[in-house]
Amino acid sequence: MPSDANHKPDLLSMTLAFDQPAGLPSFVARIDPRWKLAAIVLAAGGLAWLQSLGPAVAGMIASLLLVAVARLPWSWYLGRLVAALAVYLLFFLWLPFVVEQAHSTWDLGFVVLSETGTIRLAYLSAKAVAMISLILVLVGTTALPNLLKAARSMYVSRLLVFLMLLAYRYVFLLIEEFNRLRIALRVRGFRNGADLHSYRTIGQVAGTLLVRSAERSERVGQAMRCRGFDGEFRSLDDFETAWPDVVMFLTTVGFAALLVTWDLMIR
Amino acid sequence: METQSAVAATTLSYAYPDGTEALSDITFDVARGETVGLVGPNGAGKTTVFLCLAGVLQASAESLQVAGLDPRNSNDRKQLPARVGIIFQNSDDQLFSTTIKDDVAFGPLNLGLSSDEVRNRVAEALGQVGLTGFDERVPMHLSGGEKRRAAIAGVLAMKPEILLLDEPSMFLDPRGRRELIGLLNTLAITKIIASHDLDMILDTCQRVLVLDHGKIVAQGLAQTLLGDAALMSAHGLEVPYRLR
Repeated sequence: MPSDANHKPDLLSMTLAFDQPAGLPSFVARIDPRWKLAAIVLAAGGLAWLQSLGPAVAGMIASLLLVAVARLPWSWYLGRLVAALAVYLLFFLWLPFVVEQAHSTWDLGFVVLSETGTIRLAYLSAKAVAMISLILVLVGTTALPNLLKAARSMYVSRLLVFLMLLAYRYVFLLIEEFNRLRIALRVRGFRNGADLHSYRTIGQVAGTLLVRSAERSERVGQAMRCRGFDGEFRSLDDFETAWPDVVMFLTTVGFAALLVTWDLMIR
Repeated sequence: METQSAVAATTLSYAYPDGTEALSDITFDVARGETVGLVGPNGAGKTTVFLCLAGVLQASAESLQVAGLDPRNSNDRKQLPARVGIIFQNSDDQLFSTTIKDDVAFGPLNLGLSSDEVRNRVAEALGQVGLTGFDERVPMHLSGGEKRRAAIAGVLAMKPEILLLDEPSMFLDPRGRRELIGLLNTLAITKIIASHDLDMILDTCQRVLVLDHGKIVAQGLAQTLLGDAALMSAHGLEVPYRLR
């Protein structure tokens, strides 16, 4: 047990939503991150294109199979899937209740549902589950530095890659700063309310957080320059393409292409 | 040009963009292999001295040599990271990778070394600071003392000739501080240690520079200067407990 007072494992563990789970070794985890990233980005793009229920559900089933093949721990996977779906449902849950003249409806007695809206919700949900699952397979089976290095090798903007790395690394420090400010306010008797004083205080806290973030980013930048950083992202792990990488890529992208073709045919 | 001095600064000055003069004509010299303490009150300019020596801030000076390079010269500045390492006040500013191994490897990879050489250096540096086996640990999960040692490992992996340590004992508990002093005393390279922890300075440095309001107001043997109650009091410092 670390002895330092500033060690807060509970707070920190909450911020590790994209940490790799301690899962079992799998075929998917061994795939070259470049091929994996390309396959999953293309497949997710294909899924986003779908507009019919059948192909969307088939895509969802295939992505769940991939989750199983990747041997992601179900608790890790479901926790993140449910959290992401909860945000998604906030925007789309109302679809079955929007009844327009041209829509056929289902009268359940206490509520009338739009058939079109319900089908839309179903295929959008299937697409969402499929796409979130693909992303979780990607982040759950690839260490972040390797994922970012793969992104760089595929010509993703250097700035974007570093933004992702540093955001991932420093978000917990911002949460710590925020909690310190919150405690400082509470010990001085502040209680949040719907009044001008509260709004002004929240604004000041947000401003302070921004200033501290800017100062910290300045110091982080200095520390990076002092260790020879020249803007290029480097990693110890060298990538090497093997035949399973190509097979995985072709299977995933090929299946997504089939779904898109099917969708275009029945649209 | 090779000199006996690891650091030689003559009339080093620096003003912030708003015109505030942070350093004013400071002149000092640090011999190769020497460990020197840089002491002074808050805002004296200690961190600014380090950033100027590392070439992060563009200082003006009659002459400035750091590990045989001139930080004011852009070509020399590119070579400085290989020769001068800085340990920042807050280790969280320095540990930006997602694993300790990647963080320690960050500097050597930037030097363009081969993967095998980088792996050797990472293992060696982690061993030096007592963090063998921490390779895959996440920096944010480490204690303050472990973070400090990881930050030092990240710099040692670059095999610098000069180590600049800014308030290295800050955020450390007594045990972490004691371990740090032991570690610093085992590193046989030139070190400049900026700190308010004057007991630690006594334990690690032969000589001190007293900085106040951007000027060097005294320099000499650590025992002599830190034991001078009038000098310490005049510059917002206190005689270390052991010398009272």
